[in-house]
Amino acid sequence: MTINGGTQVAPGAQGDVILRTIGLSKSFGKLEAVKNLSIELRRGEVFGFLGPNGAGKSTTVGMILGLIAPTAGSVELFGVKQDGHRWAALRRIGAIIEEPAFYPYLSGWDNLAVLAKSIGDIPKSKITEVLERVTLLDRAKDQYGHYSMGMKQRLGIASTLLRDPELIILDEPTNGLDPAGTKEIRDLIPKLAHESRAVLLCSHLLHEVEMVCDHVAIVKQGIVIANSPIKELLSHGNLLQIRVNDVEKATIILRGISWVKSIKKEDDYLVLDIPSERSAEVNMALVQKGIMVSELVNRTSSLESVFLQLTGGTSGD
Amino acid sequence: MVTSNVSVVKKETFVSGLGIMIGAEFLKLRKRQMTWVLLSILVGIIVLVNLLLLAISKVKTPGTGIGAGNIAALLGLQSAVPFSFSMMASFGTVLAIILTASSMGGEYNWKTIRPALVSSESRFKFIVAKLVSLGVLILIGMLIAVIAGFIMGLITTGLGGNAYSFSFLTGSYVWMQFLQYWRTFYVIMPFALLGFMMAIVGRSAMPGIATGIGVVFLEAIITTFMTAAGGWIAKVPAYLLNANVTAITALNKLPGRFGGGGGGTDTTIPSLTHAFVILGLYSIIFLVFSFYLFRKRDVTG
Repeated sequence: MTINGGTQVAPGAQGDVILRTIGLSKSFGKLEAVKNLSIELRRGEVFGFLGPNGAGKSTTVGMILGLIAPTAGSVELFGVKQDGHRWAALRRIGAIIEEPAFYPYLSGWDNLAVLAKSIGDIPKSKITEVLERVTLLDRAKDQYGHYSMGMKQRLGIASTLLRDPELIILDEPTNGLDPAGTKEIRDLIPKLAHESRAVLLCSHLLHEVEMVCDHVAIVKQGIVIANSPIKELLSHGNLLQIRVNDVEKATIILRGISWVKSIKKEDDYLVLDIPSERSAEVNMALVQKGIMVSELVNRTSSLESVFLQLTGGTSGD
Repeated sequence: MVTSNVSVVKKETFVSGLGIMIGAEFLKLRKRQMTWVLLSILVGIIVLVNLLLLAISKVKTPGTGIGAGNIAALLGLQSAVPFSFSMMASFGTVLAIILTASSMGGEYNWKTIRPALVSSESRFKFIVAKLVSLGVLILIGMLIAVIAGFIMGLITTGLGGNAYSFSFLTGSYVWMQFLQYWRTFYVIMPFALLGFMMAIVGRSAMPGIATGIGVVFLEAIITTFMTAAGGWIAKVPAYLLNANVTAITALNKLPGRFGGGGGGTDTTIPSLTHAFVILGLYSIIFLVFSFYLFRKRDVTG
């Protein structure tokens, strides 16, 4: 499939840099909402942007879109440094900022028609196409004010697709959707990225981010505290949970192994911080010393545990 | 799946790009119920006032008052159009304030300002498109109100038992009404732009509506006090809005105190040139400040 002259990007593969922020900062009076934020988003990538309430995610998105003027730093879109209103770049971006916002007295169709007119060069067939893609075509003539939260979200996503964007910014896209709708959107996001696009996903649903994102940046009080591929982020702190017949003796044996970083007793279990590939060696070492191992489970850290650890236990946004 | 993948970016001129955006603004205004409600109110007021005057003209009461002769003249066909302009300069101004303030303020209230700006070529074009569409809509509303006023003139003439005479419909009369149409638009503009500007300042429709309507009514009261105070204070109202509106609406040449506009200003009426300059200055100030603030300010949640 070819979009805007680009080629389809295979899942996992990443292309040219679509968005780059360099030392982006924003202060509102004495409040420093964003501090020296640098992120990079590549074509074909789903980039998760996580942080607690008031972490500066929406301010960052506002600065990327030119709605908020940065106090310092710069934004590069499609390889071009942006200054002021960035129409040439904005034509290649579809965004939902914080929540879908439409005119309540207009129908879903008319709302998209207003946007299409503002953008220009959008045929009516495109409106039909994007409404069909988010399965909203049969309710397109209903007034937006009467839409459920899930329908509003779908219309928001449809609006981002109107101009065949190369960069899609989605803020809590599954908020208010039922489980089936959530799955549909969750399936749609990686597909969009693989159609030669990049997706910046702001979400507080950590398992959702974990499922669809290739790269994650965690922001706290305006500062990026983690920024890496999701696999790399989750590989930190790989834990092994074991159940043995003699906990005390096993602890003494394990303390003698150099690559066992930590041993923690949790009820009848021992939780070990070890390199993931050495689980079998733990088993062998204990069995050779006469310890019977009845359970041995790799406890991979979830994004949620990493997020809570990094943000100091505060809930997501 | 996306099927039409080729995005053609046509080279647009400033005017064609603006034209497309004005089209989007018209679509919003046309589909909004409030637009039609405001128009209905304007026409309804014209109908109601004409019928009330007809009823009053039929009641013989002692005393002086405005005079039955004045009311009868007002209900005649010749006065129907200028009387409609007179009402537009007063009631119509209030409706225009509500229209402009709610059009701009609604974008903030519904948070549509962010997607609208992301979809617009520039903030400047967005605000120009909004103002042009609002201006054209006000002009259309005024035209409908004039037609309604003329129809009411026909009805009240018939109901009043008077003969129909169209001898007044000369070229100079039509030209005068054409000029008065634009003069009425001119006196509405500063108030409408004040409402528009305050909606931007307050990031909501209510500050625009409240300030605009507040000025219409409060200025008349303040003017009365200032005039009573005498000295240099009495000269201040000549530099406010209402006294200058009265100077222009007086060109309607309606009998008695039916000239309209000015909200009952009881002060020395400034000269026409003075009135045009002052109202023009206010319009420009409100317009420039609206543009400045809208372009400069961050659009936050």
